[in-house]
Amino acid sequence: MTTAPLLQITDLHAGIEDKEILKGISLTVRAGEVHAIMGPNGSGKSTMASVLAGREEYQVISGSVSLNGKDVLEMSPEDRAREGVFMAFQYPVEIPGVSTANFVKTAVQEMRKHRGLPPLEPAAFLALMREKMKLVEMDQQFLSRSLNEGFSGGEKKRNEIFQMAMLEPALAVLDETDSGLDIDALRIVAEGVNALRTKDNAVVVITHYQRLLNYIVPDVVHVLWNGRIVRSGGKELAVELEERGYDWIKNESPAEV
Amino acid sequence: MAMEHFTTVIEGAFAILNERVNGASNGALHTARKNALANLLTTGMPTPRHEEWKYTNLAPILANDFLPAIGPSLPVTSSILEGLTRWDFDTWRIVLVNGVMQRDLSSLPPDATRIAIEEFSDDVPGGHIASTEAYPFVAVNASLLSGGVVIRIRANSIIDTPIHVCSIVQTDVGNTISMPRIFVQLEHHAVCTVIETHHTVGRSKGLSASVTEIDCAEGSSVAYTKILDDGTNGHHIGTTAVNIARSAKAVATTACLDGAFVRNDVIMRLNEPSAEAYLYGVSVLNDAQVADNHTVVDHAAPHCHSEELYKGLYDGRSVGVFNGKIFVREDAQKTTAYQSNHSLLLSDNAVVNAKPQLEIWADDVKCSHGATTGQLNEEAVFYLQSRGIGKDEARGLLTYAFAADVAEHIEHAGVRELIERRIAEKLNARQFDR
Repeated sequence: MTTAPLLQITDLHAGIEDKEILKGISLTVRAGEVHAIMGPNGSGKSTMASVLAGREEYQVISGSVSLNGKDVLEMSPEDRAREGVFMAFQYPVEIPGVSTANFVKTAVQEMRKHRGLPPLEPAAFLALMREKMKLVEMDQQFLSRSLNEGFSGGEKKRNEIFQMAMLEPALAVLDETDSGLDIDALRIVAEGVNALRTKDNAVVVITHYQRLLNYIVPDVVHVLWNGRIVRSGGKELAVELEERGYDWIKNESPAEV
Repeated sequence: MAMEHFTTVIEGAFAILNERVNGASNGALHTARKNALANLLTTGMPTPRHEEWKYTNLAPILANDFLPAIGPSLPVTSSILEGLTRWDFDTWRIVLVNGVMQRDLSSLPPDATRIAIEEFSDDVPGGHIASTEAYPFVAVNASLLSGGVVIRIRANSIIDTPIHVCSIVQTDVGNTISMPRIFVQLEHHAVCTVIETHHTVGRSKGLSASVTEIDCAEGSSVAYTKILDDGTNGHHIGTTAVNIARSAKAVATTACLDGAFVRNDVIMRLNEPSAEAYLYGVSVLNDAQVADNHTVVDHAAPHCHSEELYKGLYDGRSVGVFNGKIFVREDAQKTTAYQSNHSLLLSDNAVVNAKPQLEIWADDVKCSHGATTGQLNEEAVFYLQSRGIGKDEARGLLTYAFAADVAEHIEHAGVRELIERRIAEKLNARQFDR
């Protein structure tokens, strides 16, 4: 007997302001897997991330998305998070006046409430935060600073992975997490993600470039072009894209219908 | 009508004082009153045609026919007093009732070698920092100045316990205006924390026309916080004027949390090199509340630094005004002066008027200002939602954080937490689901 896939996207059509951007995406991600979604600019990568996270300005036209068999598209963004979807943002928002510690505490306690767990005691919570910060080599001083305010690009991305570590999602979607990172920050972020992988969770890496995939090695690579997955393959597909660019994919793919 | 009537009433109250002083009529204190009244009668009450009162029409407020009161009309009980400030930190407390210090209700520091506390008198007629010519309500205050409090922090004295000046307008006999006056004099290298609160006690309406002057001598440091958290009868028109000498530092925080009407002028003069001025303000308004904040940062010497951050949350039909002036005079080279002002409108009927005003005559300076008015950042709301925080809670958290950001600059933990708690209480009373 096979269990329901962690994430099942079926013939998803979605867009923004009457413009259809995703034109029939189907994707199956099972627990324990890492999938990479690659594609040139404008292929629909960020729309896919936005639809999964539940951004209101994006409309789903047809198709379905389910997480462990539950209909994701019916859920509010916060319910998606509580059910185990985590989005590592390409541009994490700066929030003056909300400390990182307070923010993470609020989020973790919400998750625990949703899962029927008692709130963590302050001492246990602090110990947990310290442990998870080490994972992404974040200094403790970030805890008392306003969330992302004045953080460098690398610090913001590490903070995203720190939050992922605290929230222990079933499905992590990394949206262009490699953008703007130098090689050290890239390694730290990737090692953090790898350390969080278990047989029960899955990671979807959305990226334009192959370099992050040297560190977070995907089981499956999908190429998105013009709102469709036009090719899927193993990790060697990412290398081929890096060498040959995206043009050959465009040329071999069906044109606009 | 109301405006002329008001000056006539002040003039009449002065005439009564004038009869009472008899032989002391040429003393410094009464001379200061006479000069102030003369200035008041020359300038009159400001109308919205007056540039500094453009957004705030005083006529409906002064139509309440406030009568001046000097000293208590009824005894103030300690239970009334305790109800006004339930704080969980220690302070020295100076209680003014209708402008006059009540020693029996106060708890004054015992060590007079470090802090001296006294009433205004011919020996100490005022700080001469707030101008009765430029500020009509300073003239109102000074015309009838009686009692008040002079706080002198002696050289090199570091006073850890905050000094709380609790000013009460007693309105049992009818709509009442009082003229509280505070003068804080920090001798060289003195350090202190001052909290000023204003309260209306009684069934009728109250107006406090308050003046606070702070004189910071060389190397001294003052952290001054004014909390306006009055009831629906409370009206406040206050001026805080600060002189800052060489290497001295003044921090002034103004929190407008409740009350019917507030007008605040904060004036900071950086008179000597290496002086530092910090001005913070937070307004959290609802219903038809008004908070009109005017600030002046006057850089008169080189190598000085100023920072200013004012924020406001406006709900209901409330009205916020921010007018921030920075002057950098010709001699004030190497000045750094930064100002920012941010407002969140929580309702369609709330109004904010923001006006930054920089006048720079020196050429080697770094100055900046920024002002924003708008709604909550929806991208931030979504970010919180994506971490499992419900939409309403996310909006609540962000709204609170927007205002509490200002309180982070308050050094004294007790004062900071007090303001944070009151912001939270006020916001918890509203709904975020609109």
